[in-house]
Amino acid sequence: MTGDDYILQADRLHKSFGRRAARVHVLRGLDLSVRRGEFLAVMGPSGCGKSTLLHVIGLMTPCDAGRIVMNGSPVAPSENARNAIRRTQIGFIFQRFNLLGVLSAAHNVEVSLKVRGLRADGRARELFEAMGISHVMHRRPGQMSIGEQQRVAVVRALAHRPAIVLADEPTGNLDSDNADALLDLFRKINLRENQTIVMITHSAEAAGRADRVVHMKDGRIID
Amino acid sequence: MPGLFREYGKMVYLPLANILQHKLRSALSVFGIAIGICMLVTLSGLSRGSFNEVADRWESVDADLIVYPRGLGDGAITSSGAILSDRYAGMIRAEHAKIVQRVVPVFLYPVRLGGQDQLASGVDPADFDALTAGGRLAEGRLFDPHGKFAAWLENELSKDSGKIFDPSQEQLAKPGRSGLELVIDSRLARAGKYRLNDTVTVAGHKWKIVGIVPTGAMSRVFLPRRAAQFLFDDGNIARSTLLFVKLRDGVAPSDAAADIKATIRQEVVPLEHYRQMLMSKIGVMFTYVDIVNAIALVIAFLFIMTTLYMTVLQRTREIAILRSCGASNEFILRQVLQESAILAALGAAGGVGMSFAATWAIETFKPLLTVTITWEWIAIALGAAATGSILSGLYPAWRATRVDMAEALSLE
Repeated sequence: MTGDDYILQADRLHKSFGRRAARVHVLRGLDLSVRRGEFLAVMGPSGCGKSTLLHVIGLMTPCDAGRIVMNGSPVAPSENARNAIRRTQIGFIFQRFNLLGVLSAAHNVEVSLKVRGLRADGRARELFEAMGISHVMHRRPGQMSIGEQQRVAVVRALAHRPAIVLADEPTGNLDSDNADALLDLFRKINLRENQTIVMITHSAEAAGRADRVVHMKDGRIID
Repeated sequence: MPGLFREYGKMVYLPLANILQHKLRSALSVFGIAIGICMLVTLSGLSRGSFNEVADRWESVDADLIVYPRGLGDGAITSSGAILSDRYAGMIRAEHAKIVQRVVPVFLYPVRLGGQDQLASGVDPADFDALTAGGRLAEGRLFDPHGKFAAWLENELSKDSGKIFDPSQEQLAKPGRSGLELVIDSRLARAGKYRLNDTVTVAGHKWKIVGIVPTGAMSRVFLPRRAAQFLFDDGNIARSTLLFVKLRDGVAPSDAAADIKATIRQEVVPLEHYRQMLMSKIGVMFTYVDIVNAIALVIAFLFIMTTLYMTVLQRTREIAILRSCGASNEFILRQVLQESAILAALGAAGGVGMSFAATWAIETFKPLLTVTITWEWIAIALGAAATGSILSGLYPAWRATRVDMAEALSLE
């Protein structure tokens, strides 16, 4: 398998928080490779560093040491470089959806496109329809159900055609029906669009829907 | 998505949505700015409007030179009372007859009328036209029209009876030669609701309003000079406050001023210098007003800064979401500055509107005050709002770019 087959390669990542005696070493030389078009689940106990891993490979926070290769290119450590990659190649889905409460669903998606310097090209509407939530486009998050909000978050994450979608406990706040529907959606998008998805989850059932599951412990991938 | 992806909407709907989300706080910010802008426009309009109104009235006098006592400097133009001997009028007439067409002595005295202090002009009836753009009256007649009062007073004072001449109110106001008569301008008449033949008490005497002159004359109150001299200079009728000199055609005021000054050794200045002298005398008022305005604006924009700063602190998660989408620092800065600019624009518009309302209120309830709102000061106010909005938004905007998105998004 060549480097081109991987959308993401993380080598010997280290990340700590705090100083001196309060210093917590969260990622301890973590290695992770994600293949293009793969639906990967990352599992592990609380505090093992799953979310930190997502933030580091999502380029929201820099690692202390290690190397990340995104879509074949090493990621420079500067904020601007990370920001540019985040803008164009990554889509996030959060446990709490993180929609902008003052905007409608459609405007939430539009702002994320605007931030990325993109214009809507009809894909947003297609995604709203594909997710079955075109009826909530002009509603604010507070006027939607939990499941609808999460699906809007999915539309926002996919609207700019990212190379990789990073989902942090996306089913954590959903009931089982909505969780099932969301995982079905992930699977469908993964298969239909060859969309790479990395999903952090506590749920073995959710992880079971992925192509591959890796486990974390003490800041490392253990299998 | 009809209209959803319009470019204009894209630029401002997030700041607009945030403003609308916090209506009361936004409204208070807008109101704070509006107050500042209103103060700037209205106080500037009031101070400069009143200044220009006075200067315009003096410049309307049909004269070329002002003669006032030496040693008073620019303060002479706001002086009053008996400070210049009338003999200088005679000297000028006698020694500069070739260049001087007319000399008009004026006795200025502060009186209170219409609820406000007025600088009344005591002038001889024959010279009334020089101070009132031709002497045209809107209503009534001129005081002491045939000079009977002046003649009577001069005659009484010329008698050497060995007693102090101390006429009663009845003697001074005797029908047929009354000296206790006033002419006021139409603005004062309107403000004080005065009508012809009304009697008003001024400086301890009862005066009858016999004429109303159109607005724009040198003073709002005119009275017989002899009466003013006698009553306000302890029974003397030999001194006035200043002289206006009308030159013959073709005579240069500056040259004539120098010639006359050399003769009488008093200050002689062209009337066209009046505005400048008034400015040097009371121009400091504008500085005070401008300082007050600046302080008001700074407070208004500190209010915006506080509001935006609080908004940024409360919206770290939203900012982090934008940053997780790859929003650049520039984009975040722009969002906060746009919000600041929208608040400032609304405040500026409201402030300008309020300043027109304030002007209406001032001119309605204090009709003798002049407020002149100029495009120049509106432009200055809008410029101040634009500058203030940027300055007050910069720090909150910078703080917004410092939001740690991983930390903010982890606060679930």
